[in-house]
Amino acid sequence: MLDALRLPQGPRMSVRGWWRDPWRKPRVLLLFTLLYLVWSLLPVLVAALFSFNAGRSRVTWQGFSMRWYYGDPLRSVWHDASLHTALTHTLWLGVVATALVVPLGVAMALGLDRWRGRIPAGANLAVLVSFVLPEILVAVSLLFVATVLTTPLDLGTTGQVIGLVTFQLSYPVVIVRARLLTIGKDYEEAAVDLGASPLGAVRRVLMRMLLPAIFASAVLVFADVIDDFIIVRYLSGDSSTEPVSVKVYNTARAAPTPALNALTTLLLVASLLAVVLGFVAYRWFTRGEKGVRTLDAFAAET
Amino acid sequence: MAAEPERRPALSGPSRLARRSVLKGALAGLALPTLDSILAACGGDGGAKANVAAEKIPAPDNPIRWAVSKANPPIDSGLTPKRGSTLRIYNYADYVSPQVLKDFEKKYGVDIRLSTFNDADEALTKIASKNLKFDLYFPSYDSLGRLIQSELVRPLNHDYLPNASNLWPSLRDPWYDLGARYTVPYTIYSTGIGWRTDQVSTDIPGLDNPYDVLWDRQYAGDMAILDDWHTAIAMVLLRNGELNINSTDPKDIALVREQLLDLRTTMKPRVTISMYTELPAGQYGLCQMWSGDAINLPYYLPKKTSSDILRFWFPPDGKGEVDNDLVVCLAQGENPVAAHFFVNELLDPDVAGRNFGFTGYQPPLNQFTPDRLVADGYVPENLATAILEPRDFERGIPLLQLPASADAAYHQVWQEFKSGG
Amino acid sequence: MAEPRASRAGARWLWPLLALPGTVWLAVLFVAPLYVVLAILFGTVDPILRQPVPVWNPLDWDLSQFRYVWQHIVGENPFFRPALLRTVVYVGVASLLCLLVAYPVAYYTARFAGRWKGVLLAALIAPFWISYMMRMLAWVNLLQADGLVNKALSVGWLPDVHRAWLNGQPTTVVLGLVYGYVPYMILPLFAGLDRTPTAVLEAARDLGANRWETFRRVTWPMSRAAVVVSLLVTTLPMLGDYFTNDLLSGSPATSMVGNLINNSVLTPGQTGQAGAFVVLILIVSIVPMVAYVRSTRAGSEVQS
Repeated sequence: MLDALRLPQGPRMSVRGWWRDPWRKPRVLLLFTLLYLVWSLLPVLVAALFSFNAGRSRVTWQGFSMRWYYGDPLRSVWHDASLHTALTHTLWLGVVATALVVPLGVAMALGLDRWRGRIPAGANLAVLVSFVLPEILVAVSLLFVATVLTTPLDLGTTGQVIGLVTFQLSYPVVIVRARLLTIGKDYEEAAVDLGASPLGAVRRVLMRMLLPAIFASAVLVFADVIDDFIIVRYLSGDSSTEPVSVKVYNTARAAPTPALNALTTLLLVASLLAVVLGFVAYRWFTRGEKGVRTLDAFAAET
Repeated sequence: MAAEPERRPALSGPSRLARRSVLKGALAGLALPTLDSILAACGGDGGAKANVAAEKIPAPDNPIRWAVSKANPPIDSGLTPKRGSTLRIYNYADYVSPQVLKDFEKKYGVDIRLSTFNDADEALTKIASKNLKFDLYFPSYDSLGRLIQSELVRPLNHDYLPNASNLWPSLRDPWYDLGARYTVPYTIYSTGIGWRTDQVSTDIPGLDNPYDVLWDRQYAGDMAILDDWHTAIAMVLLRNGELNINSTDPKDIALVREQLLDLRTTMKPRVTISMYTELPAGQYGLCQMWSGDAINLPYYLPKKTSSDILRFWFPPDGKGEVDNDLVVCLAQGENPVAAHFFVNELLDPDVAGRNFGFTGYQPPLNQFTPDRLVADGYVPENLATAILEPRDFERGIPLLQLPASADAAYHQVWQEFKSGG
Repeated sequence: MAEPRASRAGARWLWPLLALPGTVWLAVLFVAPLYVVLAILFGTVDPILRQPVPVWNPLDWDLSQFRYVWQHIVGENPFFRPALLRTVVYVGVASLLCLLVAYPVAYYTARFAGRWKGVLLAALIAPFWISYMMRMLAWVNLLQADGLVNKALSVGWLPDVHRAWLNGQPTTVVLGLVYGYVPYMILPLFAGLDRTPTAVLEAARDLGANRWETFRRVTWPMSRAAVVVSLLVTTLPMLGDYFTNDLLSGSPATSMVGNLINNSVLTPGQTGQAGAFVVLILIVSIVPMVAYVRSTRAGSEVQS
């Protein structure tokens, strides 16, 4: 149908004609997008490449070697405790924080959507404020609590998890509430009319419909947590509670070796695995549904 | 909320508090018993302590013998480190050799956890919070008095430190810690000027006042100073011929402020402590530098560049900044026995040599003389000015702890400097 | 219809129950610590180690630390002010650049990608999964004096470039911020543009509007909401950023408000001042947030 609307042009169009054609292929945009992708991903690929460098340099290629992964007996990721502890700690923080944030957040989104009153209004405001505030505020306030008061909130993993959950809580709430707005109450009311209990309607109808949003928020929170820097740095204890981001920051300002590149490459691989797992799980959970199983529907949830 | 109203004087009162939700009241109830003990400690005893013991500041002309702490007694003799236990070390980055740590781990079956800090202020804050349980810390004597008076340090038991006889005689019974009750010297270093002859053409040692080169406009944007407030202050004072680098005179503080801000505007310095990697990489050609970093420079040079281009300057008459870093055993640590064994290892010449090879910072042991260091190839001839001898410690000018008000004033100057213009 | 009403009423306990854990969490761990910040800001300092000592009773509050910060922003030696202004400028420029980069990319992916949409989206989402630090570290490597950027600029017959990119250059910091935060902007923009019905755009072109007019009068107004959300998601975190500046420029000449906070929070005697900055940022952030809430409320009223 669109072809019919194409302006009659000869096989050789002039440049001006090409510029004016409203249905031409968006080559400029395509070029721009490709350039952006190169600019965005190439430095990372170069950094990953240098993690295989045989020498100590991170800018001059000196041959291929796996020494920074497991070869070097002192400074490779395998042998240097501070490096591989950073990796495991990061992944652990990611899992624990996501496991806490997503249920709390989804439940809160559901509850705040339907509860009326002064307390939920205040809670709404708190969610919005925590969504908007820069991370450094949460980090500093919790650091003060950890150092000045004697509470279970200590510097170290406990403090870091608490800080991360507090900061990330607004994400699932906002995402799920946005979805709830578009779903509306019709399906639940229909289920209740057909004999389901209110709790059953929520569980069997609403939750299934919210699954894409829940997954999207889990994925987003996990990505944010393993990449977090400000909160985990202020609330870190000794070196066993330093995640990769803090380790990179501390080492980059001293004398970094390609072992650092190796560490970040390993984290990249681990997170890619997590994404693939998440997406596979998402597709399994939404099996049988149409239209929501593609990546763009997934991304559109966020 | 019903519990012990008489223990809540600080939180009761204004109506805005009364309007807080039930939940926050629950928090108050939870945290209160501990909160009050903190309040009591901070408001009560803390203040009293400060009045009773005014700040004791060790200096070469005011040597201090610290009282052995009653709250933190030294450990008993004759113990050995438990295999499988953890030793927590808190140090600057790249300031102890990984090989040394691994060797110790293998020898005693102890697991070492090394945590790093970026500057001494940050370290002090984390140590003061007491819940990180570090065993060993590496301060300098400008914060030693504070650490000891706040009861954060455990006195040493010298039965575990037979290798202390290797130390320079003047450092075995130093003015900052007569009887070496709390400290063991770790490294000794000077602060001077480092440069590359392929980027800096000035003959710096030949200048009337070599410190002036750091304000020389032709090197603007191409130089760096150390990210340490105390060293920056000392540099300005020494530039102006003021040998008392611990001056509390407000005129000196104003002078430091004026010249540091001038430095920032005119020279656009990079403010960092990684000179030892950046100068060899060509990031800049001139910088203020610690002697240990100077010795470490050749290791980080690209292979095609000869180490002949590196230079280090320190006042030939020895009247420059000389400091040493110390090792202390923190009271909050849970493995003091292993800590003592580690300190003894550091005083062994072989281990110290290995450590020196990695960090570049000279251990003040008798076995390390300038001639031997140059002859053994540790240090190239053109950097021999970075090597120290015992008389440098006696002649040099140390950075001392400052009284609280001067300390705050200088910190404010540094804060203004770091805020950018 | 009594039964559904009763069962709906019977479920009324469900919603507060679901919301309560999260509400309690936020109250205890988000709102209450702000009071601790105030207690430290208006508190004192212990005399030996100069660690902060909080003062809980507002009647005993000591305003000197807040006054010190305030006077050095608006008073006679306002040495904090340049950093605050610089933050606004850097963040503003970086956000604008992010938008200029993200909008075309998101637009292309939403409208023209066709069967490549999934792949393209995966490539655009990838930076989320790559540690921010790794991406900054990659640029530190490239921008070093002997790094690939200088080498690339000196290739062949071009003059030898030996620029010190990492020595306190505002350009490097702003571009670093753009590089770091642009992925955060692309995703919400994509989501918003994806929802834009293409039929409307095609109708505009059919009716004779040229490219620029279509954009100005149809595309842009329809994407405004998405642009606002993506700007918020990108700009606000940038305000607290200090590590980009630390990694890409070791110089105080490019310090931002995050650096002011970071420098003072762990310095004995200056921790209360960090609290002052926190309070100021809080106040400054709440204003656009209130404006945003008002605008979305108005928007949703129009929609419904």
